[in-house]
Amino acid sequence: MNHRFLSVPTIAIAGLVAALATAPLTAQSGGNYKTPRTPWGDPDLQGTYSNRTITPFERAADVKGREFFTREEAAALEQRAQQQNGDEGRNKGTRGDVERAYNDFWWDRGTSVTSLRTSLVIDPPDGRVPPQTQAAKLRAAEEGKRPAYRGGGAAGGRGTDSWLDRSTFERCITRGMPGAMSPSAYNNNYRITQSPGYVAIEIEMLGGTRVIPTDGRKHVSTSIRNWMGDSVGRWDGDTLVVDTTNFTDKVLYRGAAENLHLVERFTRVAPDRIDYRVTIEDPTTFTRPWTLAIPFVVTGEGIFEYACHEGNYGMEGILSGAREEERAALKGKR
Amino acid sequence: MRAGYPAVVIALYLGIAAPAFAHHAFSAEFDANKPIQLRGTVAKVEWINPHTWIHIDVKAPDGTITRWMIEGGTPNTLLRRGLTRASLPEGTEILVDGYRAKNGTNRANGRDLTFADGRRLFVGSSGIGAPRDGRDPTEK
Repeated sequence: MNHRFLSVPTIAIAGLVAALATAPLTAQSGGNYKTPRTPWGDPDLQGTYSNRTITPFERAADVKGREFFTREEAAALEQRAQQQNGDEGRNKGTRGDVERAYNDFWWDRGTSVTSLRTSLVIDPPDGRVPPQTQAAKLRAAEEGKRPAYRGGGAAGGRGTDSWLDRSTFERCITRGMPGAMSPSAYNNNYRITQSPGYVAIEIEMLGGTRVIPTDGRKHVSTSIRNWMGDSVGRWDGDTLVVDTTNFTDKVLYRGAAENLHLVERFTRVAPDRIDYRVTIEDPTTFTRPWTLAIPFVVTGEGIFEYACHEGNYGMEGILSGAREEERAALKGKR
Repeated sequence: MRAGYPAVVIALYLGIAAPAFAHHAFSAEFDANKPIQLRGTVAKVEWINPHTWIHIDVKAPDGTITRWMIEGGTPNTLLRRGLTRASLPEGTEILVDGYRAKNGTNRANGRDLTFADGRRLFVGSSGIGAPRDGRDPTEK
C-alpha cells in the first residue's frame, strides 16, 4: 500500500483514481505510450509476464454497480489477502485447511490487485458471468454420463475409480482455454516471443506453448479438435487479436466445451504491461458473450519448466487413498 | 469417496483469494482427520514438479528409524524466492506439521515446516507480504 499517496488532498486522489482506472483505455486510444515495434514492423509484445492478481473474478454484491474500487478499498482488499494467506484464515483439522496444502511461501497467488477494477469480468457491465442457456442446464444434468475428467478443474474430477475420473488439470494434461490464460495459485507466468508471421506464448502452468500464426490463414477443418483449440491471429493497429475455435469436448469451462469461441486481444499499454482481454462466446452455453480483462505485468524473470508428469505422486495418492477408504468402510460394515 | 468439494465451495471458503488451491485435490490425497507432527532429519529432497517431496528420517523412542515423504509445493515458486534443493541439506533437523496420507503410507503434506531452533522454514514472512504470525522467533 502506498502510504504517501494517502496524504495527498482528496481531489488529487479522485483525479488519480480516475487516471489509474482509465489508464489502459487512454493508452489504447492513443495516449502518450507508443507501442514499440519489432524489427519487421509488428507491435512488440515480447517479454515475460505474470497475470497473478487478487481482483475477484466476478463483481461482489458490496460493490454492485461500480466498475472500480477506490484506492482505499483496493488497499483493504490487499490487506485482507495477506491475512487470508496466513494462518489467520485457516482452521486446522478441516478439509479446507488440507486443501490449502502448505504455508504461503509455496504459493504465488499474489497479494495485490493489478488494476482498480472490481472484477475480472468487464462485460456484461454488471461484472458477472451471464446465465447459462436452458440447453446448458439440461446438459449439466446429464453431465454424469459424460467422461468424468471433463469437469472439476484443480478441485478434481468426479470420482476416484480411475485416473480417467480426475480432471485434465490434475492429470497434468491441460487447463484448456481460457483456463490456461487465467491466473491460478502459482506458476502464473507467460513468455511471449515473436517472429515474422508468428506469436508464441509459453505457459508455465502445466507447460506448453501456443503458436499463433498471424499470416492471415484460416482455421483448420472443424473436424480437427485440439485441447487448446485452433488459434489464428491478426494485428489490429497495436493490438494482437487471436480467434480460437475447434475445441474438444474433453475439457469443460463453466459448462462450455467444444462450441467455445474465444477472441483474445493483447495490447501493450505500458512498457511493463499488456492489457489482455478475452471474449468468451458459446450460444449453446451462455445467454450472451462475456469478456474478461486480466492485466499481464512484466516480471523481468525467466519462466521455468513445469514437468508436471515427472513427479505426479499426487495421482497415486488420491486413487490409493480412495481404495483405503473403501477398505475401511467395508470393515466397518462387517 | 466420490468427488471433491466443487470448486465453487472452495472458492467461497477462500473468499477473495479464489483461485488458490493446488493443482490437485489435496483433500482427496490427505486426511483432515489425521493431523500429524514429525521430527526428523532430511534424507533427500526430490526437487520435482508438480510438487517437491522432502524425505525425512524419523527416529522412534526405541531407536528405530522410519522414512517419511513430505509433500511441498512446486520448486518453481521456491526458485523465484532464491531457494534451491541445497537450501535443505541432508541431515538438517526439521519439524513437520501436516496431514497424513489417506492411503496409510508414510506420506504427509507439509503444512508447516520448522527448523529445530524454531525458525519456520519456507514461511513467507519476508519480502512477499505474508503476515507475521508470531510463530517465527526471528520475526519481531
